[in-house]
Amino acid sequence: MALAFSNTNKFLLNNQHILRSVLILSVRYKQRGHIADHLVEHHRKLPLSKVKTSATEDVSQVNDEKNQNVRTTPHDFKYVYPDFLPNPIPFLRDRILEKLERKDMFRRRQQIDIPEFYVGSVLAVTSADPYAPSRRNRFVGICIQREKHGLKHEFTLRNIVDGLGVEIVYELYNPTITRIEVLKLERRLDENLAYLRDAPPEYCTFPFDMEPVKLPPGSGVPLNTIQVPITSTHWQYKWERHDLKGVLLPPLPRSVRKAAERYSEPWRQWDIMRQYRTEIHDEDRDEIFEDIEKHKQDLAQYRIDSKENIKIIRTRQKAAGRKAILDDSQQTKHSNPPTSK
Amino acid sequence: MNRALQTISTRLFTRPVLPSSLGILPNAGINFIPCAWIRQHKLTDQQMRLRYKKLHWHKFYNDKWVQRRGGGWDEKMTPENQSFMQEVVYETYTNKESPLKDGPWKHGEYTTNPETIRTGVLGLKLGTLPQWDKKGRKFHVTLVQIIDNHVVNYTPPEMINFRTLFTTRPLRRDLHGKVGMLVVGALSSDPRKFTRAYNGLFEQAGIPPKRKLTRFFVTPNSVIKPGTPLYATHFRCGDYVDVQARSIDFGFQGVMRRYGFRGGPSDEYGATKFHRKRGTVGSGRKHKILPGTRMPGLMGNKLVMMKGLKVWRINTKYNVLYLMGPAVPGPNHGYMRIQDSSLYERKQKLTKDNHPPFPTYYPQDGKILDEELFSDDIYHFDQPTLTLDDVQIAPLTTRRTTAKTAQKKK
Repeated sequence: MALAFSNTNKFLLNNQHILRSVLILSVRYKQRGHIADHLVEHHRKLPLSKVKTSATEDVSQVNDEKNQNVRTTPHDFKYVYPDFLPNPIPFLRDRILEKLERKDMFRRRQQIDIPEFYVGSVLAVTSADPYAPSRRNRFVGICIQREKHGLKHEFTLRNIVDGLGVEIVYELYNPTITRIEVLKLERRLDENLAYLRDAPPEYCTFPFDMEPVKLPPGSGVPLNTIQVPITSTHWQYKWERHDLKGVLLPPLPRSVRKAAERYSEPWRQWDIMRQYRTEIHDEDRDEIFEDIEKHKQDLAQYRIDSKENIKIIRTRQKAAGRKAILDDSQQTKHSNPPTSK
Repeated sequence: MNRALQTISTRLFTRPVLPSSLGILPNAGINFIPCAWIRQHKLTDQQMRLRYKKLHWHKFYNDKWVQRRGGGWDEKMTPENQSFMQEVVYETYTNKESPLKDGPWKHGEYTTNPETIRTGVLGLKLGTLPQWDKKGRKFHVTLVQIIDNHVVNYTPPEMINFRTLFTTRPLRRDLHGKVGMLVVGALSSDPRKFTRAYNGLFEQAGIPPKRKLTRFFVTPNSVIKPGTPLYATHFRCGDYVDVQARSIDFGFQGVMRRYGFRGGPSDEYGATKFHRKRGTVGSGRKHKILPGTRMPGLMGNKLVMMKGLKVWRINTKYNVLYLMGPAVPGPNHGYMRIQDSSLYERKQKLTKDNHPPFPTYYPQDGKILDEELFSDDIYHFDQPTLTLDDVQIAPLTTRRTTAKTAQKKK
């Protein structure tokens, strides 16, 4: 039984890695003391629940507003904001949980500029470190993977420091992170670059004083089609079994190739349910994107009111490189904030 | 012959122990069999628990008392009639005269000497989220939504027979006779789904019938009038809370998952037929498996209590509590009973001046609350990033330079 819960890290096929909680793939039919998922929403929207005046507002007003503002969400929304994707385990999802989570996420995004980055781009992260004399710790590395959803969203940066490979996992919404800079914005052919651990060191070394690479305005996110050779003798995972495109494997013996064929799952390209689980769907999509648009407007207003105008100008210039990803209809909206300096 | 008599006598005599104040011995009465070799069986609490194993099955509401589910047959109504019936149902409850119009019952006073016990609240587990405190440390938090709670009924302490209620998991013995019972319900729903007897329970309170009911035992000074709604602000941020819920059902599980036994080595080391077994089951001498030996069996799906959970945040718009810890029992969308903590350390801090809203939070009394309330230690995301400049680090202790023996001076 392969783990399908991590969207990117599919290398863990060993039974020992299966956690206790993973065994419960669905609520047992004998389980008592709980309510079916569709009934929870039914009860939240029932007019019977508003019989007596409550201290709270009604939650059902959201449905009426949705029909008025019909927005076309951009097709690459799930790539730009992977932390807003839903929980792949459907029975752990709840609308109000996600709503409250998103609120916290937007508030955090007001305090710090979380730029758009992909797996394969080089980042520099400064976090607050009480043990350092300058109270700050800066680490530069290539982003290997981005995991989990919501407030738990994490990304790992890899670099080779003094001949030793170092990987640090940062939680995107951790309040001790003071700054995230994208030094080189690019994409790779794979979602997970864990194979860099078995690659020669020159593919993972990035100097700490690396200068940010500026992209010409109007260009999309460049795709790096580099094929990384795997030279180490001992591999962490069996790279030939996973359909990795950014990897140049050495010639393998026949038995290994046959085993790879046996373990390959060519039907996954037609696995609609897996695709369904990794996406945000029509019911939630408009609601989420509305919240994001509202957040952007609030953010623009917040930055006008705040005193840190100098920093804002720098980040807005970088936005020029990101414009191409969004639809043409969005470009006109984005041209407004820079003029409000 | 001896064995048969013994077995009969054990079954007859091992009933719940009657209180000694009544002056009745378990042996006396019709069931007494005069045999010299039978002892009086006085079982301790633990032995009782092992025999009956109903420690976790105390019922806060039993369907057998009042039959709940009713209706459900196809009445063959046209869609217009169905929508009309629905409107009628909704209107009856909006136009119903609530007993609260006369005003709530008199608020009792919060006392610490004769201890006061407030009501609890029925919640629904939504899920978990990570949160951070002001020192940058991460912890997990469960969200619990308090949907649609109303007080349904109150019985004063004189009308409660504790012996019928608590046979297997006794309430504190010192509270017997001093404590009344409040019935709290959650999730109002259509009365057409329930029987007439069940709907009748809610008529006095003037509320629609509830999907789920529980009881809370309260002291008479913290009485609430039936029909009052209960909100998440019944608790304050920074308070501690006990949670009771039915745990996740794992089904029939072996000894390794159920009790965390180590099991045996894998096949790699040549282990024959011993990978996930229990091993020995008793000692060599006693020809008996002791009651309470841990063996495979059904795991989970029983009432579990978790004590001392801190309330970090409250969301007043959606009535959501943020409780400490990801390990709160139960699956998502599972019912939870939430009460003030019964732990000694947490109860000590509550005084006449510093106590949670007593008997509950009434929205008329207080001002309009903020949408979100936070406790002091939590980092809320409106604050600027945590630069841990104020954090002081303990200096390194001086290293021992001389040998230990040299320091011993005579």
